[in-house]
Amino acid sequence: MLFNSYVFLFGFLPPVLVGCWALRNKNLRLLFLTLASWAFYAWWDWRFLPLMLSTTTVDYIAALMIHRTDVARRRNAWLIGSLAINLGLLGYFKYASFFLNSLNGIGKAIGAPVGLPDLHILLPIGISFYTFNSMSYTIDVWRKRVEPTKHILEYSTFVALFPHLIAGPIVRFVDLRPQLRAPRPKLTADAAGVGAYFFTCGLVKKLLLADQLSPHVDALFASSKHLGLVGSWAAAIGYALQLYFDFSGYSDMAVGLAWLIGFRFPQNFNSPYKAVNVSDFWRRWHMSLSAWFRDYLFIPLGGSRRGAKRTVVNLVVTMFLAGLWHGAAWTFVVWGLVHGLALGVHGVLKSLGWTPKSVIVNRVVTFLYVVAAFVIFRAPNLHVAGTILWRMLGTAGVESWSTLQGFLPGRFVILLLALLAFVQLAPNTWELKLKPRLVYGLATGVAAAVAVMSIAVPHPFIYFQF
Amino acid sequence: MESSFPTSTPEHAAGSVADPTESERLHRNLTPAIAEIENGRAFFRYIVAAVTAFAVALCAVFMFNAIVDPLSLIGWRIVPPAVEPDRSTKLNLIAKLKTNPQVVVLGSSRSRQAEPKFIDKLTGLKTGFNAGVTGGDASDAWVMVRNIAAQFPHAKRAYIWFVDYKIASAGINPQLAEDPHSRPYLGNHSASFSLADVGTYLGFQATQASYRVLKACIEGHCHGNLLYRRDGSLKGAALKFLPENAPSLKKAVAEKLAAVKHLARRLPPFTNAHLAYFEKALTYMNRHGATPVIVLNPVYPSIYQLLQRRHSLREAEALAELHKLQKRYRFVVVDGSDIRVWGGKARDFNNATHINRRNMRRLLRYVVAHSDGALSPRSVR
Repeated sequence: MLFNSYVFLFGFLPPVLVGCWALRNKNLRLLFLTLASWAFYAWWDWRFLPLMLSTTTVDYIAALMIHRTDVARRRNAWLIGSLAINLGLLGYFKYASFFLNSLNGIGKAIGAPVGLPDLHILLPIGISFYTFNSMSYTIDVWRKRVEPTKHILEYSTFVALFPHLIAGPIVRFVDLRPQLRAPRPKLTADAAGVGAYFFTCGLVKKLLLADQLSPHVDALFASSKHLGLVGSWAAAIGYALQLYFDFSGYSDMAVGLAWLIGFRFPQNFNSPYKAVNVSDFWRRWHMSLSAWFRDYLFIPLGGSRRGAKRTVVNLVVTMFLAGLWHGAAWTFVVWGLVHGLALGVHGVLKSLGWTPKSVIVNRVVTFLYVVAAFVIFRAPNLHVAGTILWRMLGTAGVESWSTLQGFLPGRFVILLLALLAFVQLAPNTWELKLKPRLVYGLATGVAAAVAVMSIAVPHPFIYFQF
Repeated sequence: MESSFPTSTPEHAAGSVADPTESERLHRNLTPAIAEIENGRAFFRYIVAAVTAFAVALCAVFMFNAIVDPLSLIGWRIVPPAVEPDRSTKLNLIAKLKTNPQVVVLGSSRSRQAEPKFIDKLTGLKTGFNAGVTGGDASDAWVMVRNIAAQFPHAKRAYIWFVDYKIASAGINPQLAEDPHSRPYLGNHSASFSLADVGTYLGFQATQASYRVLKACIEGHCHGNLLYRRDGSLKGAALKFLPENAPSLKKAVAEKLAAVKHLARRLPPFTNAHLAYFEKALTYMNRHGATPVIVLNPVYPSIYQLLQRRHSLREAEALAELHKLQKRYRFVVVDGSDIRVWGGKARDFNNATHINRRNMRRLLRYVVAHSDGALSPRSVR
């Protein structure tokens, strides 16, 4: 079920809101939200519901067992068991086909065909997100950062809560526990207002901006061999903007829905294209994921405490895995490595004092680098990515005016320029101090209605595939 | 060296820490700026205004579209629908046929120019019917074939079926689904106004269509100008009102060329679902002794050249799929894509995709000559 579908907006959300706030009893409300979230998940494919339930059960039990004992060996064993099951399921469903195909490819390349079968495994939607949510809980319990809950409904609601279930933000139990333990007694006007504001912003970003860019960007990437300097940059910038408005739109909708059912989710995007360096970019882009990798991978690897070389290695390893998390394809691996190297190089340059002082120069360089890296992220394979990146250097010259008219319709160019200015200059949804006036309320309602009018053919969110 | 990864805040350092305090949670960006205002009454007004505006706007859009009913989903017919109502027209004409049409033309608006009388002259068949409709798909052909068969259950017919490279889709036109003549043949797809239609009438496309229809009515050409003869062919007077008549053929071709450049090199895969009605119709025709002639629609020469240069696989894939189907069904394939093959003229196009009557006659001559006897009078005996 997509947030941007009639069935969600008019069939699922209204009864869930009514049910959620009609049930004052904490247990009943958590049970209701859990069941509603499972129904939300099962709408896509009910066969994968047991997978999520098993993750929930395993981590719930593992966390309690870790907490029960002070014997390090037993604690470690429960943690390793939990991680093995979580990563095993993720590895099987998400990466098994990729690794087998890669082995087949390598075997073929070196003249020793392996002939491993293609497993054709269907990727359960949202598995990367709920697995990471759940893993963070057992690790935090193991680290004694959080006490485990004995209340199964608190935990099942935390894992399954429908606003974050499919594509984040990746929420930590430490953030939600106070909210699960003492749910808000009633929906206040300010919470409903903030929820409606965020949800509408998300709808508008997704339906009226990202989905409008999508057909043009798809067409440009499909014609990679015929692009020149302008077309290739339009493809790259167009995709960077599409991805931002698509994913931050989803995150805004998730945050808005959370407010409407009495929860607070963390911010996931903070004007990432205003970043002044790659490190800053990762503090602003998909913040819940980068914080996850920082806390559960980069710091345990030694972070930046073991010298410059080791820091660079840690960064590259972390970003390699962050890339792989996005998808089982070499494009994602290379995209992660490119960012890992950039983070390492930036760290070295910064420690030497060689980074530019001008904020504008830093912003422009960072933006161009990030946009170029997104070409690798978007391209169907490394060959197409290489073709477009090569053409972005001007190697294929500039297209003729008539070709440009074919590739870049006026509406697309205007939208591209307007959104480019918007992401560089305008405040983001979290920074806006919108005053709750009548006229803004009317504007919010009309904006939501206009967005809903463009739903006719719902486009899935890009991050659903991860 | 200083960490260049998103810097760690104190609470993220390894160690034993209790649940985060309120200030820590704020630091972790759990509370947006807008929430700091804490003005309950103002927010109440805000949310009431937002919900009201949302509901009123959508209701207004729905009411507007429901009243104009541009896609004929409800069936008021207060004003003519935005889509050409030729499905109902043709189904009504079929219901009024007095003699079995010995040749039936099927397809989309591209087949509209085919005159059954001209085909009769070429083939020696006696009667015919043009059942091609705007946006005609396999489901339309299936319904037309079954309606004619229901009218004349024991007679045999020959078929000329115009298709494009995609051959068929799984779609059913809402107007077709709505028509009482269609319902017996569309299984569960029989139409009554459904929730999905509510979605359609909340959308931009339906609103634009409603606007176009109303504007046309206000400007004084509310009623359609497309008139049909009893054999389903267009009346001569209708030819100048065809929606495909481009004001400038050159401009229309240029636009189409630009669009073709963005086409994927290959066709989307042919699936059972896409071909379901196509195969159903072939099965039915074969079972009743007919060998239909499937004609690949003509393509404007410069567009065809571009397709050959960049997307030659599309034509090859379509032909390959048809040849694959020929192993299971009996039909003749005539590739009319390249107009040079059948002596077509570039100037005899109404727009970049539709040929006019002169080109259609040239194409029909070629089709009949290459129909392997499937259109001969013997085939309907």
